[in-house]
Amino acid sequence: MGTALFDGTEQLINGLMYGCFYALVGGGFTLLFGVLRRFNLAYGSTIMAGAYAGLIPVYLFKAPVLVLFVTTIVVSVLVGLLVEFCCFRFLRKGHELAPLMTTIGMLIVIDETIVHLTDAVGLKYPAPFGDESLALGPFLIRPDYLAILVVSIACFSAIFWLMHRTRFGRAMRAVAERPEAAQILGVSVRRVNVLTFVLTSAMAGIIGFFAAVSVGSARPEMAAWLTGKGLVVMVLGGLGSFPGAILGGLALGVLEFEAVWFLGSSYRDILAFSILFLILMVRPGGLLGSRPA
Amino acid sequence: MRRPFVFAAATLLAACLLWPGWVGAFQSEGTVRIGGMWPLSGPAAFFGKAAHGLASLAVDEINEAGGLVVEGKRVKLALHAQDEACNAEQGLAVVKRLATVDKVIFSLGPGCSSVAEPVFGTLQKKLGDASDSGLQLLFFTDIATKFGLAKLSPWVFRNTPDEPAMYDFVVKYLKEKHPDLKTVMVSYESDFAHSAATWNLAVKPALERHKHHQIVEVVDWRWLDNEFGAQVTRLRKANADVYFSLTHTPSTCPSMLELKRQRVKPKMVIGITSLAGTEVLQQCPDVAAGIIAPSNFAPITPRAKQVADKAWERYKADSNIHSVPAYENVHLMKGLIEKAAIKNTEDTLLADRRKLRDQLAKVGTFQGVVGKITMRPEDDPVKPRDVDKDMILVQIKAAKWDVFWAPEHLKRN
Repeated sequence: MGTALFDGTEQLINGLMYGCFYALVGGGFTLLFGVLRRFNLAYGSTIMAGAYAGLIPVYLFKAPVLVLFVTTIVVSVLVGLLVEFCCFRFLRKGHELAPLMTTIGMLIVIDETIVHLTDAVGLKYPAPFGDESLALGPFLIRPDYLAILVVSIACFSAIFWLMHRTRFGRAMRAVAERPEAAQILGVSVRRVNVLTFVLTSAMAGIIGFFAAVSVGSARPEMAAWLTGKGLVVMVLGGLGSFPGAILGGLALGVLEFEAVWFLGSSYRDILAFSILFLILMVRPGGLLGSRPA
Repeated sequence: MRRPFVFAAATLLAACLLWPGWVGAFQSEGTVRIGGMWPLSGPAAFFGKAAHGLASLAVDEINEAGGLVVEGKRVKLALHAQDEACNAEQGLAVVKRLATVDKVIFSLGPGCSSVAEPVFGTLQKKLGDASDSGLQLLFFTDIATKFGLAKLSPWVFRNTPDEPAMYDFVVKYLKEKHPDLKTVMVSYESDFAHSAATWNLAVKPALERHKHHQIVEVVDWRWLDNEFGAQVTRLRKANADVYFSLTHTPSTCPSMLELKRQRVKPKMVIGITSLAGTEVLQQCPDVAAGIIAPSNFAPITPRAKQVADKAWERYKADSNIHSVPAYENVHLMKGLIEKAAIKNTEDTLLADRRKLRDQLAKVGTFQGVVGKITMRPEDDPVKPRDVDKDMILVQIKAAKWDVFWAPEHLKRN
């Protein structure tokens, strides 16, 4: 295999695996937007809060990684419910842009609380998948990225099953399509909204765990980074389209890895955003989103 | 029911906004106001909070010892710390506040070079020039390290590391003590002024000057990046003897972890000056083990140990290469304020700042926490109003910073 082809393939493999992580982040944003038709910019801070909180039992009682993982999910769900309560529940209908401000406010509050509590120092995270990459043939594969691949496939499958095979999923889709009609038919919109927050916040816990494991620490800048990536994936895939978010995440992952390898890190975002704009010019609704009326 | 609450809240807000910042200041109230602008929030808050802690400790020590004498009267120091958040726009707002609302006689900080550059750009360019409407606020900077920043205004003095000299020493040391280590690979943060300047203005010129090492790979990333796989693969392929990791803790830890994952094992790793603090020890003591960093501070003398312990006890502040200068600066300025014969009134504030500036320009050599520090004169062609001080090399060993090399006179202390 030629060097450039070999290098390109190695980056493609890494990009696809990391793209699964982006797909999870974008998927969380997309589910929330799909059901509520509103942006939740505090989603990144929900992820970060879970990642930090997961460390409490580890630091206090030397708890095993499983406890860390469960704590991360539980705390993320609690923070998600807090976001729903403070930023969405009492906003009147017709004020679709208001959550932009309330959730930005919540993002700042959570972010700065963590900065003050930790003095902005990243906290060391355990490495449950080991510190060395696996040699698969000529390629080095990170074990935590393999774990992300497996977990994200499991998450996507569970969400598809939930959305298409359960009563809650039907209610969710009904609310996403036409909330007024769903309400007339007896679906509790508020209940669906709350359960959507629970679902996406549980996802946030999983994302937070892997985000911290992959860099070896929980860090205060996680929220801004994840918010940026999540929004790009959501728009790239198509607003409100969950399969689109998966495709968008994978595309972004591959693009970033190939751009850094062949062009250098300073071209990573230029290339990623140029392609985003190009796709939006050709398909204004995103890769799998519906065309705007 | 809601109206009285809204009215009370609005009144409180108005009172806060209209509260004159100078109340309780100046000679009549028995205080001399000094300022500080550091990143107290955001991802660089670790450095800012540490510097704020060390400055507060110095203020406490001075005040507990009776304060300082101005115009024959004992007055206390009052520190006004503002948050520049490592954000240029916020820094520009904060400097105005320090100069015109807090009315401080001088300011410490800023923390980030990317803030210091635009902030110093707003200061007066030529002393006594009536046509120059730039701010006349004296800065005695303790953190912002980018080479050449003090040249931006005659109102800027710095007690910061001299990185070109430090890395020149490191390269020379490697050449003399480890002549077998010939190939070099480098990483730096392209969006962090200090990191990029350390590579372009300190390490690269030193490597070129000593003509011993061959640079085989240079990679860059952003300081808050989270993925380093592609860059580290490049470093793995380069497989150099020496690795200059000129990055700050947020990207050093995950990138060093990635080096470990990809089994990259350079024979020697040299870090950036800013690494020499506790942040890296808290975040990744295992993967960072062995990194050597040039520094001006380590608790290697009784005095240095005492300051570090006290700062931690009182303020949980880390004593490191960037925070200890804040402590040194406050102590030095106390003496200079007394010497400058300032009036310490609101009307004489500009004249007082100028008197203090002129005293600082004449200071020459003064005592730092670890050793002697020499302020270069204003007409120095290379780095006017910057300092020269003792340098040591520290290395991470068993989750602690250990002295790797120190000059003989410091070892004797």
